[in-house]
Amino acid sequence: MDLFLARLFDGLSNGSTYALIALALVIIYKATTLINFAQGEMAMFGAFVVLVLATEQGLPIWVAVILGMVFSAVAAAGIERVLIRPFDPYDHLPLVIVTLGLFLSITALAGIIWRFDPRAFPRMYPAGTALTIGNATLTWYTVGVVATVLIVAGLVTLLLNTTKIGLAFRAVSSNIESSELAGIRVGPTLQFGWALAAAVGTLGACVFVADPIRQLEPSVMVRVLIFAASAAAIGGLDSLWGAVIGGLVIGMVQSIIVPYVGFIPNEMSLATAVIVLMLVLLFRPSGLFGTARVERV
Amino acid sequence: MSARFIWSANSREARTYKIVGWTLFVIALVLFTFAYADTAQIEIFGNGYALSLPRASKAIAFMIAILGLQVVVGYTGQLVLGQSFFFGTGAYLGAYMVADHNWPWVLSLLVVVPVCFIIGAIFGLPALRIKGLYLALVTLGLAATFPSIVQLDALDEYTGGASGKTVSSDLVPPSWLPLDGISSIFQNIPFFGQYFGEGDLSSSESERIWKFFLFTVLLAICIWLVSNLIKSRSGRALRAIRDNETSAAVSGVNLAKDKTLSFGLASALGGVGGVVYVAELGIASPLDFTQLLAINFIVGLVVGGVGTLSGAVVGGIVIAFIPDWSASTESFPGIPERWLQGPTGVFILGALLILLTFVLPGGVVAGMRRIKGRILQIVPQPPKGARVPTPPDGADAELRHEADEITAGVAANDPLTDEPKD
Amino acid sequence: MSESANDIGSDAVATDSPRAKTIGDTLLDVKDLHGGYGPIRVLHGLDFHVAEGEVVVILGANGAGKTTTLRALSGKLDATGSVMFGDEDLISKKTADIVRMGVAHVPQGRGTLPELSVEDNLHVGAYIRKDKEVRADIDRWYDVYPVLKERRHQRAGSLSGGEQQMLAVARALMSRPKLLLLDEPSLGLAPLIVQDLFERFRRINQETGTTMLVVEQNAQLALSIADRGYVIESGTISIQGNAHELMHDDAIRKAYLGV
Ligand SMILES: Nc1ncnc2c1ncn2[C@@H]1O[C@H](COP(=O)(O)OP(=O)(O)O)[C@@H](O)[C@H]1O
Ligand SMILES: [Mg+2]
Repeated sequence: MDLFLARLFDGLSNGSTYALIALALVIIYKATTLINFAQGEMAMFGAFVVLVLATEQGLPIWVAVILGMVFSAVAAAGIERVLIRPFDPYDHLPLVIVTLGLFLSITALAGIIWRFDPRAFPRMYPAGTALTIGNATLTWYTVGVVATVLIVAGLVTLLLNTTKIGLAFRAVSSNIESSELAGIRVGPTLQFGWALAAAVGTLGACVFVADPIRQLEPSVMVRVLIFAASAAAIGGLDSLWGAVIGGLVIGMVQSIIVPYVGFIPNEMSLATAVIVLMLVLLFRPSGLFGTARVERV
Repeated sequence: MSARFIWSANSREARTYKIVGWTLFVIALVLFTFAYADTAQIEIFGNGYALSLPRASKAIAFMIAILGLQVVVGYTGQLVLGQSFFFGTGAYLGAYMVADHNWPWVLSLLVVVPVCFIIGAIFGLPALRIKGLYLALVTLGLAATFPSIVQLDALDEYTGGASGKTVSSDLVPPSWLPLDGISSIFQNIPFFGQYFGEGDLSSSESERIWKFFLFTVLLAICIWLVSNLIKSRSGRALRAIRDNETSAAVSGVNLAKDKTLSFGLASALGGVGGVVYVAELGIASPLDFTQLLAINFIVGLVVGGVGTLSGAVVGGIVIAFIPDWSASTESFPGIPERWLQGPTGVFILGALLILLTFVLPGGVVAGMRRIKGRILQIVPQPPKGARVPTPPDGADAELRHEADEITAGVAANDPLTDEPKD
Repeated sequence: MSESANDIGSDAVATDSPRAKTIGDTLLDVKDLHGGYGPIRVLHGLDFHVAEGEVVVILGANGAGKTTTLRALSGKLDATGSVMFGDEDLISKKTADIVRMGVAHVPQGRGTLPELSVEDNLHVGAYIRKDKEVRADIDRWYDVYPVLKERRHQRAGSLSGGEQQMLAVARALMSRPKLLLLDEPSLGLAPLIVQDLFERFRRINQETGTTMLVVEQNAQLALSIADRGYVIESGTISIQGNAHELMHDDAIRKAYLGV
């Protein structure tokens, strides 16, 4: 029982990171039915900026995080304007290729600037234990991460549902042509989506490496992207809260089921995520929460 | 039609051009082989750039894998990003057959090809339902899992776990082959002879030459097979799927069969590339076959030119040499040395990928063809010639049009570009 | 046009007798309009105009270029020629700017935002407005068309075809346009519903004075609410006249009225 709880807590903290990156993926997917394969790398880069601001400039960690999110948002807006907007949003091949190009360039750029030695990331949450049940401990880190995810998902929902830019964003997600005919400027609206996604993603990367057992290095998000994509797919790829739940589910599967089911060895958690992704897409392509929108071929 | 020379495909000029072109190409290849059997370096800005045969052999391995991507992405239009999975499978399986069962390399292909074909076809089954970006996501995920699969404890004794699978090469040239004789002929060419070293070839040099020769032949066979497939009825079906799946199905294409075939073939080619890779390197290590390799293959595909066979050749060269050469660049005017110590090759590949998508979506091959088209055009013969593919009975006008275009494309090629006509 | 959507009251819909309407100056003047899709040229020099307060209908068979014409007016297409809207030429202006100048376009197939609620659809229609009367306008639409009120929190995609068409028109009018472009509003709807729809269009025109350019294949009904009409064939205007004349024109009767 203790072991189960311990793993449940583990799953919550991993799952929360997946949920944040999944949220970022979903924001861009909602708008353009595009999967940004560079989302994780953009987030990693943002986390490095946060690290520099916090350790080299001596800013308080949360101030650094907010500034890093702003930096990522601005950079993503620039990327959208220069590299994404020139292409037809429904012609996927060139867009996928551009995001793969971004994947390589951003990883490499981080490697060129910061090298590959892992670096310790400042703590974002108080150290210590919030709750102990038998041998299972719930750390403040886990509590903080879960709270962060819930707050961020809530804020994003609020932003999209109550603001004018949010309305434009939802309209463009639903029908680009009609949105244009209503006077909405589609380009800047999608740019807003990229900026928002990048900010959320950067927070996700920070939260991930703020776990005392992890460190920041340029390839830290490579695997996370696959977990996050599975999470987003579970949610139907276009549901914000679906992505959050999907992230938590993938986190749980990874830390509870994988060690329990003896025949799936531990290093196979990534494969498990891929299999989950495949099964969802095969048997419930609109996910558990998504709107039943048919993939445009 | 503004080219300097316009020749008809069956004209004497066009045929002479072809024969001369191919002959020069083969001669250049042989000269290259002997000149660089020893690890040779070019010096630029004080950096040494290796142009050795082992690197060229590695490039051939990549070319074959990218050729597979041409089939499934270029011709069938399926967004498959996971070629490194099959490349790795081929490498490990080949190493296993040779190292643990003492099979000769060539025979190991008899296992690798069907196994990769079947795995690829099985993964192709979900692709009948999973489309577009979802397929890209799943296949990239698949690629990401490969290193953890070969490091499974249960597979340790076959794969060597984290340290990788080593295998010794048994590709010793046959004794009847007068490699030393050929080499000394080249060495005696006045003035140029100095580039071919001195005296007899060392055993490692002659082995390199032999390997490179075998790999080149293997590559040629693969290109020949794929070009025939592309021109066949199945090839037309694949292109029909790429252009519009629904209308392909309506005009009688068996989507399930042809897509599965395409996936299987692409994966088999990935496996063959993997065998070449491990036969050259002598070791398969888990971290050689990551997502990064999968994305590099896409770089090769796009930079070479999606949907062209010669694009695979260009792409293989690009992804084999750019990272190595960037790593060898320790100083470069105007760039801080600190930067050059980082992964500049990966950065260049990523930037190249983005840049080409903007300025030259057809890749390097399209650019070369455009330049060539200004100088020389070879126009196809009227369909009297037996080689014009006839459209399938049920095919609509569009397909017929496409068949004509392909013929034109084939006929217009020079020795180095697409779908060799013979 | 400050009065546009304001005047639509429930009483207005209830009354049957049309008010005398005033036809004003030319609002839209199209000359020598060419356009198409890349190499495919569809419009080969159209000339037509619409005066303030008018309902003008463009008839034409499938593929004649009606949709293309409206898309050219809305800046969704690279077109050449002159499209004077008041004092300004719409040619090569961006869609978003054309909408802000007062052109609202209900595209073929209604163009609902299916994932958004009915009310959000109306808010999207008012996206370009900065005044404080948006809420009042929405409520007025709820009075005019109570179905929208009942379904205000439902996804627009869940409405019936006729309801969606009405929502699309309401959404377009929420921007308080000077000119409303309607692309085959009758498409895919049952005859009775179409009749009801056109009756509503007629009233909106009469009550608010909103100028309308309607593209239709259903000539009978469209002409019955129109002041004037044009017939478009292979990208050029072949016949024009006032609605009454056209309804009795033999060629038209043959081609479009099935008589
Ligand atoms: N997106 C498009 N690309 C190419 N051709 C088109 C496109 N849309 C319409 N067309 C062509 O333009 C012509 C006119 O179409 P359209 O304006 O839609 O006709 P209508 O609305 O009168 O039925 C048709 O021949 C049609 O095939
Ligand atoms: Mg139309």
